[in-house]
Amino acid sequence: MIYPSIGLLVEITLRTLAVCLPALAISLAIGLPIGIAIGHRRFAGRVPLVSLINTGMGAPPVVVGLVVYLLLARSGPLGNLSWLYSIEAMIVAQVVIALPLVIGITLAAVGALDEDWELQVRTLGVPRRWRLWLLLREIRLGLLAAVITALGGILSEVGAVMAVGGNLEGETRVLTTAILMYTQMGELESALGLAAILVGLMLVLAGLLTVVQQSGRS
Amino acid sequence: MSNATLLSARDLRVELRSRRGSFRLSADALELRAREALVILGPNGSGKSTLMRALAGLERPESGRLTSVATGPVTMVFQNPAPFAGSVAHNVRVGFLGKRCSGAERDDRVREALERFKIDHLAEHRAATLSGGEMRRLALARAFALRPAALLLDEPFAGLDAEGQAALSVDLRRAIEDTGVAVAMVTHDLRRAMLLADRIAVLIDGVLVQVGSRDAVLEHPATPAIARVVGMTNLVRGVVSAERCGDLALVEVDAQHRVATRSELPPGTSVWIGIRPEHLKLDIGRGAVDPIGKAEVRGVVSDGVSVAVQVEWAGTEMRTHLMAGRGLARTLEPGAGVSLSASPEHVHLIPICDEMP
Repeated sequence: MIYPSIGLLVEITLRTLAVCLPALAISLAIGLPIGIAIGHRRFAGRVPLVSLINTGMGAPPVVVGLVVYLLLARSGPLGNLSWLYSIEAMIVAQVVIALPLVIGITLAAVGALDEDWELQVRTLGVPRRWRLWLLLREIRLGLLAAVITALGGILSEVGAVMAVGGNLEGETRVLTTAILMYTQMGELESALGLAAILVGLMLVLAGLLTVVQQSGRS
Repeated sequence: MSNATLLSARDLRVELRSRRGSFRLSADALELRAREALVILGPNGSGKSTLMRALAGLERPESGRLTSVATGPVTMVFQNPAPFAGSVAHNVRVGFLGKRCSGAERDDRVREALERFKIDHLAEHRAATLSGGEMRRLALARAFALRPAALLLDEPFAGLDAEGQAALSVDLRRAIEDTGVAVAMVTHDLRRAMLLADRIAVLIDGVLVQVGSRDAVLEHPATPAIARVVGMTNLVRGVVSAERCGDLALVEVDAQHRVATRSELPPGTSVWIGIRPEHLKLDIGRGAVDPIGKAEVRGVVSDGVSVAVQVEWAGTEMRTHLMAGRGLARTLEPGAGVSLSASPEHVHLIPICDEMP
């Protein structure tokens, strides 16, 4: 049996983070403003939009992978980027998975605010930019939930990164695709070792966020 | 100028549409003057909160004009005082965000506002852990810290028990007197209104129907509907008689019942006779002053402090209040015959016009 070397384990773990963390950052940067905007505005077409987002929150990663594959394939509309089977392709796919989660949870947190919240802040004469700061402060528990959910969603998914990344050794192999591969090869010890790293990673990241969340409560 | 106008609404029309239908508010002329307490009274759903929000500039009027010449901030405290996440002190500091104010001055004003509403000992507590009464106090402290020129209060005592209401109204009254802020307040609690109001505005079905000094509105409601809102619940129809009694006019309800009052209405005028329950007196003996006739007791309800007695007089149910524990209150039983009396200055006439309900 061939065990993956420590060096290889570190490499795969770092690559996993190099895909997931930028994907998370991009999803938050795009998703938070959209979630806030949809969350406390009433407009025509809001209900279908929200149900579309809710559907997106449960989108199967492998289907997302397939769609992104078709977009990035040489003959696809974004084919000339030549991103297929690259880190970039994996980030794009994970952003598509995480975005509805970030938007959905953010807009739910904003929606859960008291109806009069915004009016109360306005009648206290708080300027617009400070209103946004207050809003983020108000929904920060919801925001942390959005971050944890999005991170969990992209760190653990395998279908999309497999479809658009291809699990190429030294290039696009990440923890989940490596676990799947070793399992299929019957190298269960290696698979279990990598699985332990993946779970440990989620534990550490979620733990850090929970500490932040709890310290914000007191 | 002690009674300069701060806010004024002219021919204001606001329409709210929701899934439950639309609601129209109309206020032809309403103003809030410096250093006054204006109480807006009306039944549930009459548009009091909508009027408040319109005055705060939160509802876009369909037509009409809303003018503010207030030099300081105009702030509003909502019926549901949602605290912001964070400490009680942070909640009060929120109003200073983006305003030019030194840190020391801000802290002084925050402390002063918290002390004014007796929640300074809770300054570092999380606002979400406060009781309902403390949250109301926080909402008021948050508004007063900004030293507003005008303050709009939507049901500031809602959801408080009698003791909490009494304590808060004392502190609020003092805060209003100390700061000289002009206050427009929505309430459906008539007793609070009587206690705090300089002027009263009455809203019925979305229409501002009467505005005037407290006593003018309480004593001279323009319609029976307004009379009911301001607590003049005993209403009987009558006709001004040609006969007078000295300088008093006599109003006939029927052949057996008539009342005396001060009025210059011409004989033959149809009127509603309005008498507040607290001004209708009961007597078992014969020596009643200002008698208006015999009545029969229909029901007696006591809460230990006062006794509400329902009597039938001239074919109409009337209500009156007595102090509990007095001999008279103990002997009253349904079916008993009593004499009713009401002094002429407490008998109010509302002339009946054709268009009036």
